[in-house]
Amino acid sequence: MAEPRSDLAPDAVRHSQVAVVRLRPRASVLLAVTTLVGVVGFTWPLFLHGNAAAGQAHAADAPWIFIAVLPLLLAAVLSALAEGSLDAKAIALLGILAACGAALRVPSPGVAGFEPVFFLLIPAGRVLGRGFGFVLGVLTIVASALITGGVGPWLPFQMFGAAWIGFGAGCLPPVRGRFEIGMLAGYAAVACILFGTVLNMWFWPFGAGTHTSFSFVPGAGLIHNLHSFILFDLTTSLGFDLTRAITNGVLVLVLGRPVLAALRRASRRAAFGVPVVHEPTPCLTNEAPGD
Amino acid sequence: MIRFSDVTFTYDGAEHPTLERVELAVGEGELCVVVGPTGSGKTTLLRAINGLVPHFTGGRLAGEVLVDGRSTREFRPRELADVVGMVGQNPAASFVTEVVEDELAYTMENLGLAPDAMRRRVEDALDLLSLHELRNRPLATLSGGQQQRVAIGAVLTASPRVLVLDEPTSALDPAAAEEVLSSLTRLVHDLGLTVLLAEHRLERVLPFADSVVLIPGDGRALVVGPAAEVMRNSPVAPPLVDLGRLAGWSPLPLSVRDARRQAGPLRLRLEGAAPRPPLSADLITPVEARLSKASVHYDRVVALDVVSLEVRAGEVVAIMGRNGSGKSTLLSHLAGARPPTSGTVAVGGVDPSSLAPRALVARVGLVPQDAGIILYSDSVGSECAAADRDTGLPPGTTAAVLERVLPGLPVDRHPRDLSEGQRLALALAIVLAPAPPLILLDEPTRGLDYPGKARLVRLLTELAASGHAVLIATHDVELVAQVATRAVVLAEGEVVADGPARDVVCHSPVFAPQVAKVLAPDPWLTVDEIRDALNVEIVHG
Repeated sequence: MAEPRSDLAPDAVRHSQVAVVRLRPRASVLLAVTTLVGVVGFTWPLFLHGNAAAGQAHAADAPWIFIAVLPLLLAAVLSALAEGSLDAKAIALLGILAACGAALRVPSPGVAGFEPVFFLLIPAGRVLGRGFGFVLGVLTIVASALITGGVGPWLPFQMFGAAWIGFGAGCLPPVRGRFEIGMLAGYAAVACILFGTVLNMWFWPFGAGTHTSFSFVPGAGLIHNLHSFILFDLTTSLGFDLTRAITNGVLVLVLGRPVLAALRRASRRAAFGVPVVHEPTPCLTNEAPGD
Repeated sequence: MIRFSDVTFTYDGAEHPTLERVELAVGEGELCVVVGPTGSGKTTLLRAINGLVPHFTGGRLAGEVLVDGRSTREFRPRELADVVGMVGQNPAASFVTEVVEDELAYTMENLGLAPDAMRRRVEDALDLLSLHELRNRPLATLSGGQQQRVAIGAVLTASPRVLVLDEPTSALDPAAAEEVLSSLTRLVHDLGLTVLLAEHRLERVLPFADSVVLIPGDGRALVVGPAAEVMRNSPVAPPLVDLGRLAGWSPLPLSVRDARRQAGPLRLRLEGAAPRPPLSADLITPVEARLSKASVHYDRVVALDVVSLEVRAGEVVAIMGRNGSGKSTLLSHLAGARPPTSGTVAVGGVDPSSLAPRALVARVGLVPQDAGIILYSDSVGSECAAADRDTGLPPGTTAAVLERVLPGLPVDRHPRDLSEGQRLALALAIVLAPAPPLILLDEPTRGLDYPGKARLVRLLTELAASGHAVLIATHDVELVAQVATRAVVLAEGEVVADGPARDVVCHSPVFAPQVAKVLAPDPWLTVDEIRDALNVEIVHG
């Protein structure tokens, strides 16, 4: 049998990353602004100066402002990303991967840190690009929250964390083979710990009480509060985060290669980023035969 | 209805255009069959009709494709969804829902139709494709032919005016394929749909085809025209057309009935000549496989009922019979899946179900109906290497066998990206590498084009000549006519006929190949036999 259809994309596409969701200037600016707001939303307690009493008064309600604002910003980013560059193929792939990611979260929603949700997100961001990774992170968390009933004030922060992990996976340097798997596994482990740590921050101001050694003290300065926060993090969630880091890292080590291969094959077959060119019709005559 | 004006299409990164300067016009209500060897661009041509080429695949398109007055330059595939319905090879791959009715309604839900219109059209589709008895069945429990009919029905509910089918029977066994094709011809005749169909099983569709598009695939231009004219020079042709060309009949017959009406003179010319004598019936080669009074029961179902059978080295035995007659059960027991309920099964004198896997593959090899299910690596090369490892063969053995079966298969290709024929070749190579004396094939011609079939026939003949015993379970009577030395017909788990292939096949209206039907009562099976006989006649005359 002769070659089957020669619609396999060329090597250039197969071996480099494709930007399935392209970051246009407007989307990039929005992404940057949202990220900034997000960073502030997570870390404001550390940088709070001045009036301690006012700070204390707002320690409980400040997170809620971010909880209200972040989803709106995320929605704006998603719509900007979708504009023009998100075609049916990308939507299909997003839907499938988000569903798979959500399904991965169902069997054990975080029991003892076994939460393999990032294990799919990271290879996907790696293969399909940072824009795709960002969107997939958000969607996976939303979908899984809806399935597991995990909707709550923590949701926007989780969405943000996952989006950054997917985005970061798409920014990793272009190495191949064994190094790639090692790099991704390392990234998965680090990302999991960071995710856990950063997510502690949003509720720390009111979650840790007011008079313990790891409580948030408004206006006490960066060093003091960072110290308190690290104590808080170590005592409350680090064990959990470490298990999750190991779980996801090992999963990437073991299953990373076939998953990457499957994603690359899907991306190749869907011919993402292959240009569609309509050549001008060379002086078309109107007398078509057989008619 | 459909018009290609000077269409040239090149995939991104490809050196040569896949379609070059295509001019094509298909009128309203036409059934147009697209013919060509695998890889010639049939799929590309069909996908250009609803704009998947180039909008989905990328690439450069010059010229214009007009469908019902809409150009695929301006209209994207989704804007053509109400005009063009598309059905692919594997129906299960396109299903979204779980139940027949839901699947039929799904297309319309996407188009935003009103519920009462949806309801009505679901009923229409159920009737048109005779699916009403299956309406509440889960899709996964349907047979292949039923699934493909549901897939066609799901497309029809959008009431398109053009139906495009890309080898809709490739993944089906011949009985199911026939079921789908007869549904299709009914749609063309009853509804006046315009249908474009790429198909390997030409013997079934040609009698109904209004026009044929031939893509030669070797760089020559497309040929379009009435079926009988185009088939005269087609490199891919069913036996009937080959026979007509050999005998110089005009107009070229496309159905057995037309051929028979012209066959009188040929029968006279062949009088006195006889086909080559079959392989001697009393072979003295060793018995490779033996079933004695073997019965197999699944719960209350009797799959094999006291079957006794011997297969000797050098024989090619065709096992025929309808679905569920016990063909696959017979093969799987010879392959040692489990011992029979009663009686004995022996391969090379040993019960195959008692053998360790490695010893088993060295004695008997089974190529399953869906060759893909024994392929699980991510490339052809690693598949071959894994096969060597699993069977303890020196590295490179399987790859060498593959090179003999089908030279030039790209080593880095993913097995799922291969064509059916290529996948079969790979599975065959894996099975043949340990050189088992007994080779079993389950429906091996599924999805093969004519060159692929010819290659399979050559390979099986060589294997038999080199002392392998070959058992083929098949519905494909043309394959049996070309390769089998002996035919066994099973019905309800019992052997109802067993004898030289020619005797068994020629005397059955169901199992007779096209040539035999045309030349009955003379026992001719293949066009090659007639060619030989005529040549002899010319030499002597």
